[in-house]
Amino acid sequence: MEKLISKYFIPGKTFFLTDYLADGGYKAVRTVFEKYQAKEVIDLVKQSNLRGLGGAGFPCGMKWSFVPQNTGRPVYLVVNADEGEPGTFKDKYIIFHVPHLLLEGIIIAAYANNVHKAYIYIRGEYVEPYEKLKKAVEEAYAKGFLGKNIFGKSYDLDLVIHRGAGAYICGEETGLLESLEGKKGFPRLKPPFPAVVGLFGCPTVINNVETLSYVPYIVNRGAEWFAKLGSDKNGGLRLFSVSGHVKKPGVYELPLGVSLREIIYEHAGGICEDRKLKAVVPGGLSAAIFTADEIDIGMDFDQLRNKGTMAGSGGVIVMDETTCMVKALLATMRFFAHESCGQCSPCREGTGWVHRILERIAKGGGRGKDIETLLDICSFMGGTTICALADGAAMPLRSYPTKFREEFEYHVKEGKCPDLLLMEKQ
Amino acid sequence: MPRLTIDGKAIEVPKGTRVIEAAKKLETDIPYYCYHPGLSIAGNCRMCLVEVEKMPKLQIACHMEAMDGMVVRTNTEKVLKTRQHILEFLLVNHPLDCTVCDQAGECWLQDYYMKHGLYDSRVNENKVKKPKAVSLGPTVMLDAERCILCSRCVRFTDEISKTSELGIVNRGDHGEITVFPGKELKNPYSGNVVDICPVGALTDKDFRFKMRVWYLKSGDSICTGCARGCNIQVQYNLDRPHHTKGDRVMRIKPRFNENVNKWWICDEGRYGYKFHDYNRILMPLKRVLGKVEELTWHKILPEVAHGLTSAKNKFGVFLSSQLSNEELFLAKNLFKDKLKIENVFLVPGSPPGFQDDFLIRADKNPNSKGAEMLGFATEDKEIHAFLADCEKGLMKGIVVFGSDILTGLKEKKVLQAVQKLEWSVFIGSNHNLMSEYASFVLPSATFIEKDGTFTNFEGRVQKFEKILEPLGEAEPEWRILVTLARELGIHFHFDRTEEIFKALVLNVDFFKGMTYEKLGTGGSDIRSMAAPTIPALEQDANIL
Amino acid sequence: MNTIFTPEIKIKADAIVAQYETRRASILEILRLLQEHYGHITLEMEEAAAHYLEIPAINVREVMTFYSLFYSEPKAKTRFQVCRTLTCALLGGEEMVKHLQEKLGIKPGEKTADGKFSIQTVECLGACEIAPMMQLNDKEYIGPLTKEKIDELLQATGCKPQART
Repeated sequence: MEKLISKYFIPGKTFFLTDYLADGGYKAVRTVFEKYQAKEVIDLVKQSNLRGLGGAGFPCGMKWSFVPQNTGRPVYLVVNADEGEPGTFKDKYIIFHVPHLLLEGIIIAAYANNVHKAYIYIRGEYVEPYEKLKKAVEEAYAKGFLGKNIFGKSYDLDLVIHRGAGAYICGEETGLLESLEGKKGFPRLKPPFPAVVGLFGCPTVINNVETLSYVPYIVNRGAEWFAKLGSDKNGGLRLFSVSGHVKKPGVYELPLGVSLREIIYEHAGGICEDRKLKAVVPGGLSAAIFTADEIDIGMDFDQLRNKGTMAGSGGVIVMDETTCMVKALLATMRFFAHESCGQCSPCREGTGWVHRILERIAKGGGRGKDIETLLDICSFMGGTTICALADGAAMPLRSYPTKFREEFEYHVKEGKCPDLLLMEKQ
Repeated sequence: MPRLTIDGKAIEVPKGTRVIEAAKKLETDIPYYCYHPGLSIAGNCRMCLVEVEKMPKLQIACHMEAMDGMVVRTNTEKVLKTRQHILEFLLVNHPLDCTVCDQAGECWLQDYYMKHGLYDSRVNENKVKKPKAVSLGPTVMLDAERCILCSRCVRFTDEISKTSELGIVNRGDHGEITVFPGKELKNPYSGNVVDICPVGALTDKDFRFKMRVWYLKSGDSICTGCARGCNIQVQYNLDRPHHTKGDRVMRIKPRFNENVNKWWICDEGRYGYKFHDYNRILMPLKRVLGKVEELTWHKILPEVAHGLTSAKNKFGVFLSSQLSNEELFLAKNLFKDKLKIENVFLVPGSPPGFQDDFLIRADKNPNSKGAEMLGFATEDKEIHAFLADCEKGLMKGIVVFGSDILTGLKEKKVLQAVQKLEWSVFIGSNHNLMSEYASFVLPSATFIEKDGTFTNFEGRVQKFEKILEPLGEAEPEWRILVTLARELGIHFHFDRTEEIFKALVLNVDFFKGMTYEKLGTGGSDIRSMAAPTIPALEQDANIL
Repeated sequence: MNTIFTPEIKIKADAIVAQYETRRASILEILRLLQEHYGHITLEMEEAAAHYLEIPAINVREVMTFYSLFYSEPKAKTRFQVCRTLTCALLGGEEMVKHLQEKLGIKPGEKTADGKFSIQTVECLGACEIAPMMQLNDKEYIGPLTKEKIDELLQATGCKPQART
């Protein structure tokens, strides 16, 4: 299978401008400027079935088509490089190894939406990738690819790199906008949606790094070609971040719809020390888990949603038979409790409460109705909040004790881990 | 206009109306904490989640715009169960402070628990600890553990007082209300945050531990602190005098008036109530050569009447813009029309002060406009001339209503002038310098101890009602005037202020057509007058 | 305020603010600038920043306490920021923290008495492929960690092993 983005992921190497141009870089921008109207670019991306690869999986072209162009206000483009979803690290690779690919995607997306000012919101912890990105942006300005009259056309585009400061919730679209506007990352009430009322009250396009990075390929090779690479309504390839108990953790560029079994055993080399698989997180920490016998599933947004989980950010975390599911859920819920912004009551109180219950169970203090309580809490954390963080906490929270009920009950009753290997054999 | 259905009842509302507002019009009860009609929408408490047909998730009624054909259900099992769980979430870290918390009895957590909760707690964990009994400023105390982070107080200081002292720091369930270290919550409207705090997180320092709210009774009145006449509720205690050293008034709360003060009052009006119970003149007093004698009304009024009669028209009357329309009208009738006294003056009861572009007016008197409409004006030259005459010995006496003219008038030698007179009468509720010199001191009621009307600076006539009995032997000024008049052989057949008002309406153009009933709780309609200062809207009975 | 926004800092700050549509929007970069310059951000600096950005001081306090990367206290010279989220937890992150605890004699969230070292447990840094991992001094990502690797690091950063108590 041909590698599109991941061919650039050579350890230690960054494709700066010279290298990128030599590889045929910025051809797509020139094509767009010469041959396409803005609206045609949107149609092209629609036809490609490119989905939002940050986690929501919303069809990219459709998102762009929601932006009203007649409001008298400027349209902004915001690139979500916050990459906070645990288990996900692919955007880091793009920014570090081939930042110009991202810039090219940004320029095309800007043109399609009549955007003249764009921001990249990059998480504050990504220090080295930020340095590479900064250099690439400077190169682009120097070459006339950004700034006034880019590529010799009467089109201006300004780009500002804005560093986050350590808050997962700023990866949520409207939390990001609030943070970019200089406030705490408190997600906004929707409607209105960012496409209509976004940054500084203006129509705003928000896209993930990886989503934008595939756009040049769509322009260069065609929408139909891109769509066919993937599965039905889920076009193209995506970068799966695979980690956990696998022999070869890393980023794997594979078609939307690839089998999860194939990802784990063929590409990531199988389980460490050839142990048995126990559970998998299929799409970032917010996704409901699969057990070992559920991995013959196509990894695309629609198939996974139909199975009660999500494709999310493509973060695959593999857990083998030595894993204590209670401790794994504890680490998960500790994350959400730590990252809840605190704005609305079900998430703020629910994540903290659930974390404390699990801590007590993990330390051996479990009590009779704990599991029922946990399951009841997650029924009302999901679907009642301002943003999806609570839904993202509720989904794993429900799936762990549901799929590993015995193990959880043992923990609560006996106050410790069962002999895990023994349990597997039963 | 969109037409929607809530729990089977249909209603048409203006475009842009939120479902929660539409529900209120139908008198459907949707519980909420963070929503406040005077503040921006926060949507964070999630208490107002309701079912909307064709939408898979519950929606918050405070944010959801009412659309044509929308079908809303507020009492399905899903909604009720969700409400119960939201309440449970809010109580997870809430401290069990009810026994020591001032909010008990008017706490929305208590109230909603009884209505929408009624579950057994299943929290077996430690609660998050936060600072307690933190002084935020001169008026407000914070207990951060009790706070449900609804952000009403933060939005208030941002949007209403526009002083931005408050914020929420930290993330998640460690969130706390706070001021910047070293700064204070100190602005002319700081007390309002206590009103809008639904729980005992923000409490009034002035009211702290004073009285349990279920012992309080309430009466409606008008603040007399300035010419705006904010509508207030006077909350008092008569059942537990041993708890409060006999103080009756416990606190003042704002009363909603769409056109005058909306939901708010200033701190001066809120905390300036001590004079109703302190430093009161309780008995009629007669002062001869420095010796003070307490007399009954029965004994003192003939002496006062004798003084007035023997002075013929050689005395002055100082009325104040603190007096009600009825009292000013009656006084004018008695002194100017009947007794033909020329020297009837109006003085401001309190000197002018600070004014802002919100509620506070520079004129610190409630009825200056009323006095003006009744034909009074403050005539410095005439007052000066009168006092000069007093000093020359040409005048015999002076009657002063309420104001401390010894301190208040710009004249320097007022005391000397007053001491040259044969007699002086001070009619007022609280002791001041004037009451220390007057030969006759007649105790009057404060405005919560009588009925009447004031006219605010915009020309709005507002009613205030008797809430408490006057202390000691005090009587309302209007009754003092009626009984004094009787001593002088003049018979006013007035038993109630409403009767005086009826006479006033017939005689003074400005008040044409008004009745107590029409004044209602919101005051007169001033839309026909030029340039009302707050845009007049529909006078809904819109209380929150 | 002029003492905090020195001419040198002000030039940089002005250049940053110029990139944004509102002064407030630049707050994260401005606070970062102050932190890079002064090491950590005191209340006085928060007020100065509020004044510079023309926003209420409480809003700066909110931002300081909401985001994880700002230091309100002097920071240790060498800071070990060890990840504890799922993948790192699965691959022994807890043992790595315990090892550091033993070697430095402090718990996560604490600083050594001489102010030279600190341990923080942090959430996912986006480096699960090298789990268990840590960030050093808010910069480099180091992983996969082993006890030996940690000992090497400690030596390289000048740590004298704690006497066993």
